[in-house]
Amino acid sequence: MCYTYQVSPWDSKGKAAMGVRLYKEPKLDNPVMIACWPGIGNIGVIAVDILRRTMAAEELGEIEPWDFFYPRKVVIRAGELTDLEFPSNKFYFKKTGEKDVLVFIGEEQPNDGTKVYAEGTKAYKMANLVLDVALRFGCRRVYTSGAAVAPIHHTARSRVWVVPNREDLIDEVKSYENTVLMSDIEDREGQGSITGLNGLLLGAAKKRGLEAICVMGEIPIYIHGFPIPYPKGSKAVLEVLSAALGIEVSMDEINALVQQSESDIESVYERLPVEIKEQLDKLKYVTYAKPSEPEPITEEDKKKILREIDRLFKKEPGGD
Amino acid sequence: MIVVWNQDVGKIGSDVAGYLNKKLRGRELAEIRPEGFFSLGGVSVEDDVAQFPESKFYLCREKSLVIFNSDIPRYNWYEFLGLVLDIAEKYCKVKAIYTIGGMVSPGAHTTPRVLLSVVNSTAMKKILSHHDIVSDMDYETRGDQRPTFSSFLLWVANRRNIAGASLWVPVPFYLLAVEDPQALKKVIEFFNGHLGLNISFTDIDEEMARQGKEIAQMRSKFPELDGYISSLESNLGLTVDESEKLARGVEEWLRRRC
Repeated sequence: MCYTYQVSPWDSKGKAAMGVRLYKEPKLDNPVMIACWPGIGNIGVIAVDILRRTMAAEELGEIEPWDFFYPRKVVIRAGELTDLEFPSNKFYFKKTGEKDVLVFIGEEQPNDGTKVYAEGTKAYKMANLVLDVALRFGCRRVYTSGAAVAPIHHTARSRVWVVPNREDLIDEVKSYENTVLMSDIEDREGQGSITGLNGLLLGAAKKRGLEAICVMGEIPIYIHGFPIPYPKGSKAVLEVLSAALGIEVSMDEINALVQQSESDIESVYERLPVEIKEQLDKLKYVTYAKPSEPEPITEEDKKKILREIDRLFKKEPGGD
Repeated sequence: MIVVWNQDVGKIGSDVAGYLNKKLRGRELAEIRPEGFFSLGGVSVEDDVAQFPESKFYLCREKSLVIFNSDIPRYNWYEFLGLVLDIAEKYCKVKAIYTIGGMVSPGAHTTPRVLLSVVNSTAMKKILSHHDIVSDMDYETRGDQRPTFSSFLLWVANRRNIAGASLWVPVPFYLLAVEDPQALKKVIEFFNGHLGLNISFTDIDEEMARQGKEIAQMRSKFPELDGYISSLESNLGLTVDESEKLARGVEEWLRRRC
């Protein structure tokens, strides 16, 4: 049975301008939600989608897309329009016997046509529709995921930057393996920003009394501008999420993606001019997290390398 | 109504609002939604935690006091201030508005704090004349700056015949990153007397004594920092480098002891 359940974040009587369609209403125990939209390197979406498929999560419902997006495909048969396709925004669920899981994956972030990332009223409404569903099924916590642009080399293991929406979650997120806080990053002093819905959801969740944590896999600064996925960052995120949720996930699929990606990146890397490769190779020795031991290169060398990278690629480090 | 902004020097406003809400059992009354006033393109991160704009009204019913605590909006400022005053006037029947702000002071922490005021009417000036407040400031915005949001609020309030005053308290520059309980007390003392709040200051006095003791210990342990503070106490200035060292030293010392 399928029915349309109208949910509005603004009207307690259920009158909605934009809706959620639920296909079923399972009873879930202490669920957590993982929500994700595409971003740099598709780091979050790849990780969350593998998690969803590994768990064999069932489809639960979707956000009706026509108020958020322009259609992306029309199907016409014999002169008749038979279908209009929009980017999908789907919910899934899995009962695990302990902590049940809700997953939301959006194929696109709504925007006003000029900005890359979601901004403004529509994005906020979408974030609240996602949280409406989370609250309806009894979630108290939401995870989101994205990319952290970092001055690392593509041969290095990606770490995961974690940002909670409450101070009392800091100790917990610090305990996750292979993670760093903003305050662990040199020169950041605990400050930063997370653009788009993967960040906005943290704020909206805070406003509605939900815990939320954003986990961001690192992507090298010189790769993030290219429209290619970065599975190494996704793998780091997947490891953190599966440990945090207590779900065992086979790494075979992601390892295969990492291997293919590494091979593709290396083949491009080897063709770079020597001067550029020499500069990028120095990133193998740059540590930007606060050091606990004397570093192999000086502060001055590090600054010089990062300036050269900026000049070569005209990019800035940051979180996404 | 007391109005405080989260983007405030030394976070004095937020500290005052938090203190009064705690002491007077303030309850959330209303809020202004962020759409149209704040950027919703993501979140900022401060001290490792995601932040989100908030604009909330609190009611301390027993003392007939409303507190409005908000981030400063990025867009549609006049409309925002109109909403603030709509709620103040029509729902809360507010008679006067007070905003609070911190100012960076080059002086030492041992210098007694003063309160300065800017009012939006002669009537309000008369009301405040009974208090120990510096109220004869002359100021014009420089070309490279713009008026504070509190000034904008006072001006809009005046157009609606709502009396208003901005209260400013100097905070020593090297206490900006930590807390200044002396500045907090100065402001609370004013409201306590002016609005008859009957608040006991034992906790703030204890915090002042504790901080004073910590800084004294720091001075005895670090002669260089002691020298800087002594210079300030003698009304001598410091170089930029010396000021930065002092600020860093005090912050590290006080945070380590926490």
